[in-house]
Amino acid sequence: MSVNSFADELRSRSDDAIAALFEARPDLLTPIPTDLSALSARANSTPSLMRALESLNKFQLEVLTSACTLSEPFSKSEILSVTIPEAGEELLRLWAAALVYKDGSKFRLPGNLRNLIGDEPGGLGPHSPKKIDFIALKDLPPDSAAVLERLTWGPPRGQVASVKSPGKAIGWLLENNYLMPMDSKTVVLPREVGMHLRSGKVFKDFAPVPAKFLGTNRKQKDVNRAAIANVSNFLRWCEELAHNWSDEPPIALRSGGLGVRDLKRSADHLGVDEICVAFVAEILYLGGLIVIDTDDQILPTNSFDIWMSRTLEERWHSLVSLWLETSRVSGLVGKIGEKNIAPLGPELDRAGVASMRKATLHILSKNLELDPDIKVLQSLIAWQMPQRFSAEYIEWTLREAEWLGLTGQGALSEFGSALLNGAKDIGVESALPKPVDHILIQADNSAIAPGPLTVELANMIGTIADIESRGGASVYRFSESSIRRGLDHGQTGGQIKSFLKKTSRTPVPQPLEYLINDVAKRHGRLRVGSAHSYIRCEDEGLIAQILHDKKLEQLRFRKLAPQVLVCDFESSDVIATLREASYLPAAENANGILISAPAIRRAKSRPRPPKILSETSAPSKIIVKGAIRALRAGEKASSHKPREVPRTTANETLDLLHQYIEEQASLTIGYADTNGGVSNRLIDPISISLGTLIARDHATGEMQSFRIPRITGVSPAK
Amino acid sequence: MTDGPLIVQSDKTLLLDIDHPQSDECRRAIASFAELEKSPEHIHTYRLTPLGLWNARAAGHDAEQVVDVLLKYSRFAVPHALLVDVAETMSRYGRLRLEAHPVHGLVLVSRDPAVLKEVTRGKKIAPMLGLQLDAETIVVHPGQRGFLKQALLKLGWPAEDFAGYVDGKHHEIDLVQDGWSIRKYQELAAEGFWHGGSGVVVLPCGAGKTIVGAAAMAHAKATTLILVTNTIAARQWRDELLKRTTLHEDEIGEYSGSKKEIRPVTIATYQVMTTRKQGIYAHLDLFDAIDWGLIIYDEVHLLPAPIFRFTADIQSRRRLGLTATLVREDGMEGEVFSLIGPKRFDVPWREIEAQGYIAPADCVEVRVNLTDEERLNYATAEPEDRYRFCSTTATKRKVAIALAKQHSKEQVLIIGQYINQLDAISEEMGVPLIKGDTPIKERERLFGLYRAGEIKCLVVSKVANFSIDLPDATIAIQVSGTFGSRQEEAQRLGRILRPKSDGRTARFYSIVARDTVDQDFAQNRQRFLAEQGYAYGIIDADDVLNANPD
Repeated sequence: MSVNSFADELRSRSDDAIAALFEARPDLLTPIPTDLSALSARANSTPSLMRALESLNKFQLEVLTSACTLSEPFSKSEILSVTIPEAGEELLRLWAAALVYKDGSKFRLPGNLRNLIGDEPGGLGPHSPKKIDFIALKDLPPDSAAVLERLTWGPPRGQVASVKSPGKAIGWLLENNYLMPMDSKTVVLPREVGMHLRSGKVFKDFAPVPAKFLGTNRKQKDVNRAAIANVSNFLRWCEELAHNWSDEPPIALRSGGLGVRDLKRSADHLGVDEICVAFVAEILYLGGLIVIDTDDQILPTNSFDIWMSRTLEERWHSLVSLWLETSRVSGLVGKIGEKNIAPLGPELDRAGVASMRKATLHILSKNLELDPDIKVLQSLIAWQMPQRFSAEYIEWTLREAEWLGLTGQGALSEFGSALLNGAKDIGVESALPKPVDHILIQADNSAIAPGPLTVELANMIGTIADIESRGGASVYRFSESSIRRGLDHGQTGGQIKSFLKKTSRTPVPQPLEYLINDVAKRHGRLRVGSAHSYIRCEDEGLIAQILHDKKLEQLRFRKLAPQVLVCDFESSDVIATLREASYLPAAENANGILISAPAIRRAKSRPRPPKILSETSAPSKIIVKGAIRALRAGEKASSHKPREVPRTTANETLDLLHQYIEEQASLTIGYADTNGGVSNRLIDPISISLGTLIARDHATGEMQSFRIPRITGVSPAK
Repeated sequence: MTDGPLIVQSDKTLLLDIDHPQSDECRRAIASFAELEKSPEHIHTYRLTPLGLWNARAAGHDAEQVVDVLLKYSRFAVPHALLVDVAETMSRYGRLRLEAHPVHGLVLVSRDPAVLKEVTRGKKIAPMLGLQLDAETIVVHPGQRGFLKQALLKLGWPAEDFAGYVDGKHHEIDLVQDGWSIRKYQELAAEGFWHGGSGVVVLPCGAGKTIVGAAAMAHAKATTLILVTNTIAARQWRDELLKRTTLHEDEIGEYSGSKKEIRPVTIATYQVMTTRKQGIYAHLDLFDAIDWGLIIYDEVHLLPAPIFRFTADIQSRRRLGLTATLVREDGMEGEVFSLIGPKRFDVPWREIEAQGYIAPADCVEVRVNLTDEERLNYATAEPEDRYRFCSTTATKRKVAIALAKQHSKEQVLIIGQYINQLDAISEEMGVPLIKGDTPIKERERLFGLYRAGEIKCLVVSKVANFSIDLPDATIAIQVSGTFGSRQEEAQRLGRILRPKSDGRTARFYSIVARDTVDQDFAQNRQRFLAEQGYAYGIIDADDVLNANPD
């Protein structure tokens, strides 16, 4: 009756009311229900109700729970009598969300809701079947009073040694029906007594409004300054981490994610703690700027290069927006109990975090210039979404918002507000320090970029100098090895010098110029290459002859010195070719000693003789005995061979099956197993769907499904 | 965002743009809490360290001031976390105090019982403490004052020492300013120390640390023990004290390897204090020989580790540390802080130089090519011989002599590590050599002649490194040196940085063999000297030799 009348009630609602319902419970819209009974069924389904409960604030939940203590149908005044006057308004909201529905002038609850709220709503026990006389409470013994006090606000159950022989205190209560036995060892406080002791209200303190927001005062100017420092730090971390991983890619754990050691190393590199690196890595991962490659290396992607080519504001905006939406909680990284949760791993997803994150920021945006008191903020969120609340997540949200620069000194920054409001121009770009296009070189061979460098400059300086200190400015150091790296990257000494002269606001110090000249002069003086074999000969004429011999062109000799040629062929091939061209070469070993006799060829690898498959030995008597027994049994079985099932075509099979299903007769089928072997089964067919026959197999007595294409034939059972 | 001169980096270094109009103002503001790490020509680097911040607290600055300074001068927004960290670190200093209790003697006091509880849980600290009098006070075992301070510093809770000092035996000492007068910064340094009770005064070489010591003695007016690095330094202290104070010769004693005099003012060497006989420090009694009212440690950055241990025992005596740098090669800066005391006064070298008390210096590195034969020998030399081999090549000798000749009109000092090399130079040039086995009398005679300008050139081995006054050396030529240690560079440069009468530029040559370990050490040297802000150039030996064809 209840579901039907729920549907009827929904049917009677106006279009506006239905629209309000969809607004309150958007999940009811997907997919769009076919009619109002489908809608009522969905609104009464457990998943939808759970979502609806999650979206309630503490007071709404209290009112709804209080309603669950009443018997249906209940009137508004009944609700108000067990709650507080403010509940009247909430009742309307609950009605709008179809968490209560009207039955005449009274109200009812959707059938499934009670299951979700539980048997003991608000910690109240079951109704008592007996009449309870509260007059006896006047003579309540003190011991019994203590028991009642413990059970009043729930849970209403208590354990006793035995209900048959309870102590004096409990005994008195049982006698007067203030407690009732639930089983041999449990007593429970009946709902009527509970409500009496609670003076008729379901909750001790209803909380119709959230607590007042508290925080430390900040000036918006200071907040913005601190936030912009955070923003530039955060963007620098992202860039640094990706560059670092491109140089030394960490290897992902087998279970997925970043290992502890790599996490530590990256933390050292960035100069922040591990949890912060985990956060940065997660954000990069979310943005697709890094990826776990097929060979398990964690590397920056092409998207990273695209990201780098965007403006700072776009870079920041793209990552922060992802953070707002993500269900991944990087705060979980670390050891939880015995288990280690890795960043970039599969275990970081938590449902409902994004809404809590948004709620937190929403509260901050309503309280500008205030650095929230974390406890108060947590209680606010706990009030707003009691079902989803987790104190830790709030803490992590604040921490991460600060890292991102959404907040500064704990309060929401202008940039944060702009981003949350979806503003077009967030203001980050203009607030961040302008990139500088020059450096200052000092006599100690260090160079200072007094602000963020343009990307091209940073790349160029990065190849010829090592970075020493990071922050608003960067300090680079030139050294022999850094200059050499520049030369290895194809720069010349002259190019490096002219680049520095062009870029440096200060004259290039003499020692640095000396260093560059010195390194450039020596760079590449020693040459290293590879060759397979060489030819040497004291007769330079002969060397020249060989070098120009047309017949030997295929060997592609290179002349290293007047008396030495090298080539990329094995020495044995070279000797053979030379001999063909009627020269008389001899092989020599590393010490220049002639290898006079042709070497007897031997394999280079260690001997690996094949394994011998052992001859079969005589089987033991037990095995022989067992085998014979098995044979005899098999023989017996085959003599009862069932009749061969005739082959039928697929269409015939289907027709026959339908026929047998209608007749509800047993039949035998031939059924091919996965290896192609056909066995006969005696079955009672029941139904056919999706190419599968559902039938009861006589052999096992169980329902089983048979793939129709595998049925080789059908015949009536005999 | 302001356009200030300071850039605060996230690794807690501060970059000061000295070409900025506000740079002087900013330098003065940050000097009290940040340690100057390097001061090349354009951007100076300071570092925020816990010790530096605690030094600032000891000098009466609070976190709010520090944060204000950082915010005021910073060019870019300062990371909030860094400011919070500064405030947090600074608030740790002074939470614990050592005080003298009228009944129980030395006590550890804290307004914050939680801190007290935290530190008393430390395994190393518990045995030093006695009865807990109340939630805020714990008795400290007598004699543990120094060790407790050391241990607390290691835990990150440095204690402020208010337990007071003994006055020591009174002895009348005054400055005699006839024909000279104490410089302003010297006076400030002595006063800073005196008001702080104990601590370290940081002044560059040549800035007159001895006078600061004398001024401190005049404040204390008590018997004084002065610990110095070696005998020569001891004699110089004595001469200086005789010249600058009312002290007479019979009031000053020398306690060294050769003499064991104990007088109202006694000057002892580190070496004799750390001499052991059968495993026992034989001369420790000196610390208790007289009721000293003041103990002065010269060159604190070289203070040997055992002296720290003795110092822990004498925490009730006033201690003054004098040094050119707080940086210790062994990283025992924390010991200096807890046992001698916080920094009480500091002037960066350049500032004093700007005031004209130190001659500006030019540094020139001369690169010498090894001959082909030398190169081959170097390549085959054992690793431990390599440095000696490359730093004593014949070409170096030639270059050193050529340079000395170029500067024959000036006071030249040739410094080296290897006696054979120095012998050869001395012989070839016909100039005297001072080395380890030169008798002290002879050394003093030669130094006297050199000072008087009668000798223009002197060859000295490592012995000259510490605390010898050679006022008129304008050219120093280093032919070989020990492994490029930063201290040594400071000392070497100190030699020629002393005030010159006519304000000439001093020059420091170091001769380096190209493509050898010598050059690696030279790189350290270049970096250190350039970081100190001295002009540095590199030339080829041929340029020197061609200028002097003979």
